[in-house]
Amino acid sequence: MTRVSSLRMLLKGTVTGLALSLAAPALAETTIVMAVEADFSRMNPAASRTWNTFKVVRHIFESFVEEDLTKGGDAVPEIVPALAESWEISEDGKSYTFHLRKGVTFHDGTPWNAEAAKFNLDRMTNPEFEYFVPASPGLMGWVWMDLVGYEVVDEYTFRIDLKQPNAEFLRRLTAGGSGAPRMVSPEAVKTYGNDGIEDHPIGTGPFKFVERVVGEKLVIARNDAYWNPERIPKADAIVLRGIPEVVTRELALMSGEVDMIGTPSPDSIETLQAQGMQIVTGPSPMVYVLWLNTKDEHFDDARVRKAACMAINREDMAKYQRKGFAIPAWGILNPGGPGYDPAFRDCDYDPEGARALLAEAGYPDGFETRMDWTFGGGSDVNTKGDAEWLQRDLEKVGIRASIEMFDNNTFWDMMSAGMREGTGLTSASWGESTFAWLDQVVTTTALPPSCCNSGYYDNPEIDRLLSEARASATQEALDGKLHEMRDIIAADMPFTTYYAANSVYALAPNVSGFVLAPQHWVDLTGLTKE
Amino acid sequence: MNLTLFALGRLLSAIPVLIGVTIVVFLSVQLVPGDIALSILGRMASQEQLQALRETMGLDQPIVVQYLRWFGALMQGDIGVSLAQQLPVAQILVPKIWNSLILMAGSLALVLVFGFLLAVLSAPRFRSLTDRAVVALTLVLASLPVFWLGIVALYLLAFKWKLFPISGMYNIVSPGGFWDLIHHMVLPASVTAASSIAVVARVTRSRMIDVLNEPYILAARARGLRRRQVVLRHGVRNTLPTFASIGGLQIGYLFGGVVFTEIIFNWPGVGLQLYDAILARDIPMIQGCVLVVATVFVLGNMISDITVHALDPRKG
Repeated sequence: MTRVSSLRMLLKGTVTGLALSLAAPALAETTIVMAVEADFSRMNPAASRTWNTFKVVRHIFESFVEEDLTKGGDAVPEIVPALAESWEISEDGKSYTFHLRKGVTFHDGTPWNAEAAKFNLDRMTNPEFEYFVPASPGLMGWVWMDLVGYEVVDEYTFRIDLKQPNAEFLRRLTAGGSGAPRMVSPEAVKTYGNDGIEDHPIGTGPFKFVERVVGEKLVIARNDAYWNPERIPKADAIVLRGIPEVVTRELALMSGEVDMIGTPSPDSIETLQAQGMQIVTGPSPMVYVLWLNTKDEHFDDARVRKAACMAINREDMAKYQRKGFAIPAWGILNPGGPGYDPAFRDCDYDPEGARALLAEAGYPDGFETRMDWTFGGGSDVNTKGDAEWLQRDLEKVGIRASIEMFDNNTFWDMMSAGMREGTGLTSASWGESTFAWLDQVVTTTALPPSCCNSGYYDNPEIDRLLSEARASATQEALDGKLHEMRDIIAADMPFTTYYAANSVYALAPNVSGFVLAPQHWVDLTGLTKE
Repeated sequence: MNLTLFALGRLLSAIPVLIGVTIVVFLSVQLVPGDIALSILGRMASQEQLQALRETMGLDQPIVVQYLRWFGALMQGDIGVSLAQQLPVAQILVPKIWNSLILMAGSLALVLVFGFLLAVLSAPRFRSLTDRAVVALTLVLASLPVFWLGIVALYLLAFKWKLFPISGMYNIVSPGGFWDLIHHMVLPASVTAASSIAVVARVTRSRMIDVLNEPYILAARARGLRRRQVVLRHGVRNTLPTFASIGGLQIGYLFGGVVFTEIIFNWPGVGLQLYDAILARDIPMIQGCVLVVATVFVLGNMISDITVHALDPRKG
């Protein structure tokens, strides 16, 4: 940056700051203020991160297809047409031909067509392209891993070619959190530059971007010209705020400063209800995974890993530790994701049996180990309490574990490095509505120094099964492959899960129209207030 | 010494300190574990992509070279681009600095007014009931953790009795003007100020007690001057340098203190920004925030020194 432009930037920042401090205009009438757990990441969809950020990004930008999150319940959300009106999948399952919706324009008036689609694919996947987003490949491997080509067939037809069939491709097109395959106005990119999109996020979605003050607020307003009349937002505008301190977030709701909040503390639910607040809760794909260190001097024995699994009283944990805002979980497949079977058990709660297994493995008196844990981020709640609960359960069978807590960033670096010597167990929340996350947890390509097969579970069979699952032609075939993988993992026990957390939101009494689908993100179009 | 010369001298001597600050800030952020390239490119980036980015960013260079580059850019007003937002750090940070300075100024006003009043109230009545009450009050104020005090204040004054808003700097939906700001500022400013009020009151009080025991005060009394006159003319005046010095020291302390109150009250300042930056491991933003806090600390102390010099009655 040149000196003059830096000074100008400094001056601009000062002036903007002063202007915002002194004369921010009043907002429209039905404005809903929603507070979430952290400030948002980048608005450029190809480089955006965190599920909270995607809650905003998915309302400004759209993909070829979407998940229908306007219905609640616990069924996996249906895939519905969005910027593509319809699509065909070739017989070999490798070619997706999208028939694009006509008459759609971006918020700046730029028409949506196959050229715009190509521009966006180039931006996400072609390093030679002028407007390529460098962060995109690292963030979005989960979407584009099988991509071999794409082509403008005609003005409203666009084809994407994959190297192998991918039964989840459409669903992955709807997802986000680590990059999001969503369409940005090509004219906006050309006008404001690749990074200028952060300040001028222009898509085709039901909400338009109004303004953002980093660390303070992000305002989106209804797009009256939205192509789908059923999803034209009911509210005029939504103001989103990151309020990291949970007590402040709850008090802000109860005092009327904000209209709804994400993730209140389970301990505050009764107080919030007593104050007349509505609690909306429902299943989410978020599952708490336990990694067991297969290289550890104790946990290298599958019987010891099995014993740890059997030691955990998951039912009580969901009921008391999470106050019922969770369901117990077993096995590596998460609720809300493909192949999930609520009846599956990778082990039963059996402390007696666990002690016997430990004795058989040569530890009649148990042993000492360590748990590396994180305070978590986003919608994690009291993970230290989880660690202490597990510590207590494990101690009952003779596994005496100390706990070391780390901040989220350090923790994930440690996960990439692999569990350190002396650490037997570690845990974090994950789980998605696609099984893309498993590529980063259970495969050999995720072994250290890659993230996050941190317990060194080295089994190429798992890679093969996941790859075959992806290439499945039908959902049944896919589920079948995932079940095979799940059963192998259950037998080897390098991972287990202990509970799947519900999403919890608290709303002011006058807010209505909020629907919670089993997903990490939500649809805000129906939201309104009296 | 001439005040201008003195101020100039202090200003010059602040330069090496500020350079030292940049070194400490740069090095301390280097100590944060983790790979900045990995933070930018994500967990699925290939080793080649990571290496290429490290080379482009100069992360493979010796640390001294990295520092000199960073410092060079800093001298040209470029404190980098936020990794989390891909916006210039300055663009995000400058409004936050204003917001924090506003909060700090509010706190400082409370510190100076109440710190001074408490001292003047207690010192001339040494060991009286008022004096003991002030000492007890300051002990309590100094001992309250900011985080606890903040949450209690939020609960009682903002939530229970609805006297003040819970969070932010203005009403987020329909921002008002100056009075809206003051209304939002009362709680965070008071919470930030609490322990500093105690410090200033106690130090000023004990200095004033010393001053009031000086022979010249006794002499003034012996000449028939009224007690009130003696306290105000001689006692207060001779206590002022200490008051200014300890009050000025609070500038940096308060600016550091607002980091905590900003998180509790969601005040959109440097502290909240620093917190967000740490959560997102946004290294350039962390460097920017720490640099700002450290610079304000150094400048605050400098202003305090100059004020003390100006207020010293011995210079006539």
